[in-house]
Amino acid sequence: MKERPIRIVSIYPTLLGTYGDGGNVAALSHIASLHGLAADILTISPGMVIPDDADIYVMGGGEDTAQVAAANALRASGALTRAVDKGASVLAICAGYQLLGHEFPDADGNAAPGLGLLDVFTDRLPKRAVGELAAEPIRAGLTSVTQMLTGYENHGGATHLGAGVTPLALVTSGVGNGDGTEGAITGRVIGTYLHGPCLVRNPLLAETLLGWAIGQHLDPIVEDAVEELRRERLGSATMSK
Amino acid sequence: MERVNTSLRTKLAVTAGRLAAATSRTLGRGEGMVVGGKVTLGLSPHALADLAGGRVAALVSATNGKTSTTRLLATAASQAGPVATQSTGANMTEGVLWALANGPADAPAILEVDEAYLPRVLAATRPKVVLLANLSRDQLDRMSEVAMLARKWRRMLAENPDVVVVANADDPIVAFAAEKAQQIIWVAAGQEWTADSSVCPECGTLLSRDGTDWSCSGCGRARPKTSWQFEWEKTGTAVGPDGQRYDLASLQLPGRFNASNATMALAVCAELGLDLAKAVTLMSTVTSVSGRFATVVAGSLRIRLLLAKNPAGWSELLDIMPPAPTPVIIIINSNDADGRDPSWLWDVPFERLKGRTVIASGNRRRDLAVRLLHAGVDAVVIEDPFAADAVLPAGTRELAVIDCAATYTAFQKLRDPSNEELAL
Repeated sequence: MKERPIRIVSIYPTLLGTYGDGGNVAALSHIASLHGLAADILTISPGMVIPDDADIYVMGGGEDTAQVAAANALRASGALTRAVDKGASVLAICAGYQLLGHEFPDADGNAAPGLGLLDVFTDRLPKRAVGELAAEPIRAGLTSVTQMLTGYENHGGATHLGAGVTPLALVTSGVGNGDGTEGAITGRVIGTYLHGPCLVRNPLLAETLLGWAIGQHLDPIVEDAVEELRRERLGSATMSK
Repeated sequence: MERVNTSLRTKLAVTAGRLAAATSRTLGRGEGMVVGGKVTLGLSPHALADLAGGRVAALVSATNGKTSTTRLLATAASQAGPVATQSTGANMTEGVLWALANGPADAPAILEVDEAYLPRVLAATRPKVVLLANLSRDQLDRMSEVAMLARKWRRMLAENPDVVVVANADDPIVAFAAEKAQQIIWVAAGQEWTADSSVCPECGTLLSRDGTDWSCSGCGRARPKTSWQFEWEKTGTAVGPDGQRYDLASLQLPGRFNASNATMALAVCAELGLDLAKAVTLMSTVTSVSGRFATVVAGSLRIRLLLAKNPAGWSELLDIMPPAPTPVIIIINSNDADGRDPSWLWDVPFERLKGRTVIASGNRRRDLAVRLLHAGVDAVVIEDPFAADAVLPAGTRELAVIDCAATYTAFQKLRDPSNEELAL
């Protein structure tokens, strides 16, 4: 196990944190401590230098104007791309997911350039997707997540996957990418429409990210309160199907 | 001639609406206001404009505090005679219509309006003044995102240039929404929650902040110069454009946010030509507003009811709760009127409740329990904490009154247990 703490970077929560996504960073920190792992959280505001040598980068959802501002700042910095080249992992939710792709729609519906870290592009869904989202992970060994993914989606984007990515999961209830798949993954870069927050409701995904950071598989630790929440939410997603 | 017909039609429609409301009440389905309003509007689509008839003194809108601010303002304005206003927090089209149709006839009206409904209600009622206090994330499954809502307000003021705007200059989103109006009274009313106004709503540049001052290096927009100031040091003081100070220490509604609400109400009173010293005296008689801050009996407990429905509201409420280890009850629902997605719980600094046990309830009590687990706050999850046999944390039953913060539908249910439409 690594001696130094796991370095977690929360990217622009002031721009990308509209839907409680700050909970993902809280969950990483909480679950790390359950496993006896030390974690350092670095919160980056626009204008600050983003380090390119951290272990896990987390981005949330945000409004259109803020999303464009975040994408522009990240493209100008280049740090995220360098960090991914060095083996860091990225978890990006909703607007954060969209801006990792090649392009996404801005407030006026025009295509804005993304980072190109995921081979996807996003345009608009005919109708905004709002509601519980449940999806079955694709069992290709890309993550150690074997249980259903649960979350809440609230987005107007249809995300189209290219050959360079694999879907993270297949939708069983809700909209996700818009074509029956949900999220995208390549290497250690993950994009998803799961709010909830995602890692609170899906601790196995947090354990995947933490495991990558320390270079060893983490055996899941189950917390009763979280299990009860998962059961309730997955039940309600099935009911509203 | 057309006008007379329209007015007669509205009168008949109001009568039909009252009948529908009475039927709804008889059937035990709440106060019947929404049903009555719907019937009236169905029969006379221009009923709102007819009933307003040039007598609307002020509309009040904001994400947080609109019900309290409206009550403070309406009470202050009662110095000049009867006022038509809502008796409950019903603030969409039907609620506004009901207050006009059933309040004192021809009296000046002071009405709160849901932020998403404000453009159409303002266009129909043509108020003298509109008070715009704050905008932040709330019910994101129903509302537009915050910047989108601000653009709608901005368009509304461009289309209705006669209305006098009283606006909070400390909220950059409100300032953006208000700035194109022809007559604006800027109030330095403060802004506790800044997470929804980190970037310029016009150009997307990160705003520079220095205390309450803010500016945008991208497009040059900056906090407007204010004519009314709000000061807070344990109690509030409002300072008028002429430097006159109004001590708000006698307000009975608790907290910094209510003193700030009173300051904005006072600025509206000045525009309406009311006596401001009398306004402060009258505002100080308000003890609770549609159940907010009221002490009520709920099953086997006496509770102080707090409405807590979004992160900005919560960050203010945490300040007025008694210190640890006093337990508190928190009820989180996700029915339609609460917003379907409670992930905003992760934006609330619940860490500040450490050192006490929280009684977690509501149909989303499991979300709350996990949030509190991560915050390091002890919690017990209880479906019905008001049941006589509920197992509550030690000391709870010995409290004379326990704070109970609840989302909208849970709050309404506790206020009025007969309201069966809003299940706990």
